[in-house]
Amino acid sequence: MKDSLRKSYLASITDRFVRGQMSRRDFLGAATKLGLGAGALGMGFGNRPFMLSKAQAAEDLVPNPEIIAWLKDVGKPFAGTTLKLATESTPPSNAINGQLKKYFEEATGIKVEIEVLPLEQVLQKLTLDVASSLGTYDLYYIDQSWAASFSQDVFDPREQYSAKADLAMPNYNLDDFLPALVDGIAKYEDRWVGVPYDIPIFIMIYRKDIYEKLNLKAPETLEELYSNSKIITDEMGPNVYGTTGQMKSGHYSLECDWTAWLWGHGGSIFGPDGKFTGNDERGIEALEYWTKLKATMPPGVDGWTWDGQGQSVAQGVAASMLSWGEFFPYFDDPTQTKVSGLCEVAVPPRASSLRTVKETGYGEIPGVGHQGGSSLAVSRYSKSPDAAWLFMQWATCADTQALITTLGGGTGPTRASVYDDPRVLANARVGAGTTRHLPIVRETIAKHMGSEPDLPEWAQLSSDTIPVGLGKYFAGSYGSPKEALDDIAAQVDAVMKG
Amino acid sequence: MSTIQVRRFAISDSPWPWLFPLVALLMVFTIYPLIYNIWLSFHEFLPRKRTLAFVGFSNWIQLWNDTRFWGALGVTFIYFIIALTCEIVLGMAIALLLDAELPGFGVLRAVLSMTLVIPPAIAGMMFLLMEDPQFGVITYFLNELGLLAKGTPILSTSSLALAGVMVAEIWQWTPFMVLIFLAGLRALPAEPYEAAMIDGASAVQMFRRLTLPMMSRVIAVAVLLRGIDLFRVFDYVFVMTSGGPGTATYTLSLYAWQQTFSNLKWGYGATLSLVSLAIIMVLANLFIKLFKVRW
Repeated sequence: MKDSLRKSYLASITDRFVRGQMSRRDFLGAATKLGLGAGALGMGFGNRPFMLSKAQAAEDLVPNPEIIAWLKDVGKPFAGTTLKLATESTPPSNAINGQLKKYFEEATGIKVEIEVLPLEQVLQKLTLDVASSLGTYDLYYIDQSWAASFSQDVFDPREQYSAKADLAMPNYNLDDFLPALVDGIAKYEDRWVGVPYDIPIFIMIYRKDIYEKLNLKAPETLEELYSNSKIITDEMGPNVYGTTGQMKSGHYSLECDWTAWLWGHGGSIFGPDGKFTGNDERGIEALEYWTKLKATMPPGVDGWTWDGQGQSVAQGVAASMLSWGEFFPYFDDPTQTKVSGLCEVAVPPRASSLRTVKETGYGEIPGVGHQGGSSLAVSRYSKSPDAAWLFMQWATCADTQALITTLGGGTGPTRASVYDDPRVLANARVGAGTTRHLPIVRETIAKHMGSEPDLPEWAQLSSDTIPVGLGKYFAGSYGSPKEALDDIAAQVDAVMKG
Repeated sequence: MSTIQVRRFAISDSPWPWLFPLVALLMVFTIYPLIYNIWLSFHEFLPRKRTLAFVGFSNWIQLWNDTRFWGALGVTFIYFIIALTCEIVLGMAIALLLDAELPGFGVLRAVLSMTLVIPPAIAGMMFLLMEDPQFGVITYFLNELGLLAKGTPILSTSSLALAGVMVAEIWQWTPFMVLIFLAGLRALPAEPYEAAMIDGASAVQMFRRLTLPMMSRVIAVAVLLRGIDLFRVFDYVFVMTSGGPGTATYTLSLYAWQQTFSNLKWGYGATLSLVSLAIIMVLANLFIKLFKVRW
């Protein structure tokens, strides 16, 4: 199709969309077919990137009857109770809200209201709830970076499990949660701040067809990632670029990308003394690398959040990305993208060196596989903590996680056993809702995972101070990486001092 | 007060029974939030302690040393002045063109109001699409005209981002100005123009000496309404750039929102909102006095 015709058609569908004659879904579908700019589709309003890419018809996937029988038995006293949860739009929450909670509600008579909100609004609601102690929300969705802030406001699930034997789900098995996730997401000091609920994590996704055509192999080091990307951009640009990013100024996604490069070059955000160290020699080296890598990315990448980044691969504009593994099932869906079956996964490129946890501050865990997981916990202020505890056990048990993983389009489970569940394994083939990337997700969690620090100021630092400073750097407001990072360091210090 | 007394009071000449509902609404939705905001500006939320602590004037003092605040204020003023000027000039020009009884002009005037029903966030999304560096329609034409180097991302380039956002604002709100100006133009008496034509006045002279003075009150109302709106700009910036790149498009409203809801600095966010309110009030009153606007 001629460029002018495509644009004319784009104008026409935009007009129909704006007039309400076309649903957003149809509009985005048509726009994708047009090969519309990834950034344009990646509007990024704070929701997480993950698209629901259904694997099987919902009627084929139902909860284990034994669990439903147990819920019927223990849930009777709580019939008529209403539970509230404020959560980000994530695969587990979407699958539970859209398809699974009806089973829990029918079995127990407990009504579950789930508010799906942008992440910053979830934080705002939880903060107001704990400040007022009103118990508006019975369950808290806690991003890994908030664990420190809310550690005293929720029940430790280990204590709940042992203290309420009559409400303990048989075979719930707290030890089944991946230990790396318990440490990286749900643990603060010696307390469990809920149980790991979901685990979006950076893995390497690349176009196998392009890599083979150019005789390249999946990058094992960061330098290989750069050289591969440069070769692809030189050979196939401006139609296809080597790699892509989520680099919108002032957005949390930019900070996520930064940590992968920083940790991968042996740097860390904080030192053991709590001082910002992102501007040390390793930090500067990382930013120099990133600047070099950005030259191999599509133009406009600094206007994209994760949405735009994912779309750039889905539309065939970028040949690889180090990003959220939960995009992969979407890429494999032939009804949604033009790259179904063409993408492969690998563990993130090896770090040139890695700092140990002891060499960092605030529990930061360096690793190229940046994770953005969250935990689910029962609020101490809940008026129905027992009913909430029942729901939490059901929502995070192995059976429900297996259903979420298949219904939610191959999202990464937080339990070890779910990776081996026959229903999950059955979906490990090319197509919608694939789970064929999960072995790599599991390996990344075990060996390459990086976790952000836990401190109350982190919300501000990660969503404002750092991404605004980096955005200014990429917009050319600083003379050098060092100047930019020194300025960010000064601002981080100011925030830390209050 | 007995029932009879209440009835007597209700049917008396006193204005209070009739004012009460409005006053009550004002108290609940305007006065109380304002007072609460003032109170909040002398406090700060402490995330570690989960309490609001009295901090005296520290939020107000912090303003003076906050470079982000001054930057956001500067961006807001630039946005306000340029967008308002463009909307007035374009609005008046289009209104003058449409002020005629030609076939199809009635439909054209109705069509103009269509942009106003689009939520600003959607308009922002549309322009985000149109300004995409690879596939955007606007980018394409700018490239073809040689006004923009290929591959330049308008919204990620510091020197262009604010203009990129303003285009959406001007596109959506110029028709509002057109409709107001058109209503004013069509209400003007014909006699002064007939006399001016007999005296041999040119079109420019008639516009300067007749139209502008007679339209001054209408223009003032339009400027006030749009000016207040422009100073509070949030939607377009939030959707299109999130204030970036860096702080190139960070406006005062976005900064206040960000401090309040992202950084949970409720006190400082309230202070920023009050500053914004104070500036709008001063500017509006100054404008009313200078241009002798009478309602």
